[in-house]
Amino acid sequence: MRRDLLLVSAVGEAQGSAAAAAGLAVAAAGDEGSALMIEMGAARPRRPTLLATAAACELEERLRGSVPGLEIGARGRICHALVRDVSAVGAADDLAVGELVAGLPAGVPCVAHAPAAHFRALLAGQPVARAALLRADLEEERAVTALTVRDLVRRGMRVAVMRRPLGWLAARRALAGSPAGTDHARLRRLASRLRAGEGGQSLPLVLGAVAALLATAVALVSIAGALTGAARGQRAADLVAISAARSMRDDLPRLLAPARLPDGSPNPRHLDRAAYLARARTAGRRAAAANGVGPGRVSIGFPDREAFPPLRARAEIRPALDLEGASADVRPAVAVAEAAPPAAAGAMPVTATGGGYSGALVYRQGEGMRPDVGAAFDRMAAAARSAGLALVVNSGFRSDAEQAALFAANPDPRWVAPPGHSLHRCATELDLGPPGAYGWLAANSGRFGFVKRYSWESWHFGFDAGPPPCSAAGNAVLGAGDDGVVSGSLGLPAFVPARFRTALQRSAARWNVSGGLLAAQLLAESGFDPGAVSPAGAQGIAQFIPSTAAAYGLRDPFDPEASIDAQAHLMSDLLRQFGSAALALAAYNAGPAPISACGCVPAIPETIAYVARILALLDGAGVLIAPPFEVRLVA
Amino acid sequence: MRGGERGQAAVELVAGLPALFLGALLALQLLAAGYALTVADGAAEAGALALAGGRSAAPAARAALPGWARDGARVSIAGGRVTVTVPPPSLLPEVGRRLAVTSTATVRPGR
Repeated sequence: MRRDLLLVSAVGEAQGSAAAAAGLAVAAAGDEGSALMIEMGAARPRRPTLLATAAACELEERLRGSVPGLEIGARGRICHALVRDVSAVGAADDLAVGELVAGLPAGVPCVAHAPAAHFRALLAGQPVARAALLRADLEEERAVTALTVRDLVRRGMRVAVMRRPLGWLAARRALAGSPAGTDHARLRRLASRLRAGEGGQSLPLVLGAVAALLATAVALVSIAGALTGAARGQRAADLVAISAARSMRDDLPRLLAPARLPDGSPNPRHLDRAAYLARARTAGRRAAAANGVGPGRVSIGFPDREAFPPLRARAEIRPALDLEGASADVRPAVAVAEAAPPAAAGAMPVTATGGGYSGALVYRQGEGMRPDVGAAFDRMAAAARSAGLALVVNSGFRSDAEQAALFAANPDPRWVAPPGHSLHRCATELDLGPPGAYGWLAANSGRFGFVKRYSWESWHFGFDAGPPPCSAAGNAVLGAGDDGVVSGSLGLPAFVPARFRTALQRSAARWNVSGGLLAAQLLAESGFDPGAVSPAGAQGIAQFIPSTAAAYGLRDPFDPEASIDAQAHLMSDLLRQFGSAALALAAYNAGPAPISACGCVPAIPETIAYVARILALLDGAGVLIAPPFEVRLVA
Repeated sequence: MRGGERGQAAVELVAGLPALFLGALLALQLLAAGYALTVADGAAEAGALALAGGRSAAPAARAALPGWARDGARVSIAGGRVTVTVPPPSLLPEVGRRLAVTSTATVRPGR
């Protein structure tokens, strides 16, 4: 620790260093304070004088007895302490100086004077001096002085050299503790320069505060940087997994498409499992590159690669190597995504009730609508996209109960129709946005069969190209294809053999179930083979096991028309019970118990594959009775 | 004379306070920019995930932003690339605009 300690010594034979030390001490003491001057190796102590200031006397009282054998006396403004005969005391003199300085009250300067022979011992001791004054005659001792100054500067001390000794009178006055006449001003400047008194102390304070502030900021930034780095790794993993799952979702119909066309030639649309997975892997790698992750850091796997179809992708992003030592501790970011029926499907009715419309609903952006309205909206949204607009569906089908709640919140018939009067109950009306698209909608909606119902509602469009709103024909619109091709055949996909179409349509209408859904099931169950028998004992075109067949009054499972009717009846019950096509299909395949238990498609590989196949078939056939698969993160 | 110098440090500290205050403001501003970047990261990812799920990216990205960032943020979508620009909170709006941070997330887009 540095104390307010100044060393004074002489270089070579220079005289007057003791007087210089005393003058410095007087100058450092100031007008009302006092200073301690330690003299080492002086022959005799300097006696106390009568003319001592109160501060000096107080200092003498305080220090007397603090170091045994110390000879101390107040003289004028300074308090002289003698460490006698340094060579005899040996190393102990450092100790004496240290104890003396430690015992000083704060703010009292201390000047230690040592002859050249003992100067080094004083330098090596504690406390470390802040500065040194050398009394040197430059003509004789220039080289030695230069060496000494350099050595002291290297020790971090301030150094001053006094070329001339004080005058005779000034020296006497200084040694007596009084200001040294004309030399006093010079000594005071010297003292303040060597002690670098308070003048510069606020600068280190401000600099220290700024440094602390900057250090805190840097620490916070580096912590935030590490967190951001980890978060970005996780983000990249999420995006890679999602992109791979997205590719699987898009390719699923091609994976499930028959490998060969009916004429025996290879189906160009078909993908085998390896190509399907490779495409997903490529999609993941592209996403990684697009998000700034090099190919060396990402690995993509498929946890359910053995299942059919594989629907999960796992992405692992290793941390960048520029983290140096930290990389060993940082675990890779991992994300798993899957393509699956929408999680919300269980919560949304696939058939509407409680409004003016009762029939199948399709969902766009979470809003229900009649299937043909959904198909028309898809075409209009695609056209809007190419015009640079992203259409938003703010409202679609509203049951009378929902309309009542809306009207209660805003009972103005001009803006909200009373329950039972809104066309929204017919599932043909859409409230569209954003406001920036109103102009485009007004100009173009007619091309897609929509009309603006009310001049004062720029957002409200009704579908006018199909059966009228809230009509019996409207209720019978089941599936609707991408191109509207199915409206004449009640939603039956093209793959349904002609001899089963009538039976399918009749049963679908009787039990209010989508004909497209039933047809896709029949294709998956038996390939429309009325004589099919499975190893598990399921029989006929709809693959009834005998107990279920008996429960639904089906006497002959090999009778296709009766089987289809029982299948429609069973699906109607399951749809009502579970509320979603995915869950109803799972229950058809695995029985209702496991589905009731978890409210989900149970983790039975055969069931998952069955549901996926049929939903994908419906999608591929353009029968969007069920909402399309969505991709989501699962881990 | 020595008595006159007492208290000098306090006076000089007062003189140094504005500099200290400015330094603190600067550090806070940089931290705010860093925070805005993490916020923009989250929003861009939310937008990209929505895009992959076949939903609209812009509302999802905006919904992922905290209230203070929602007004000043810009969200743009090109193909599967969602770009979110967020100006950090700042005492001087112009400084905030100049420090605006941008984050981009890319995903395989929906059909």
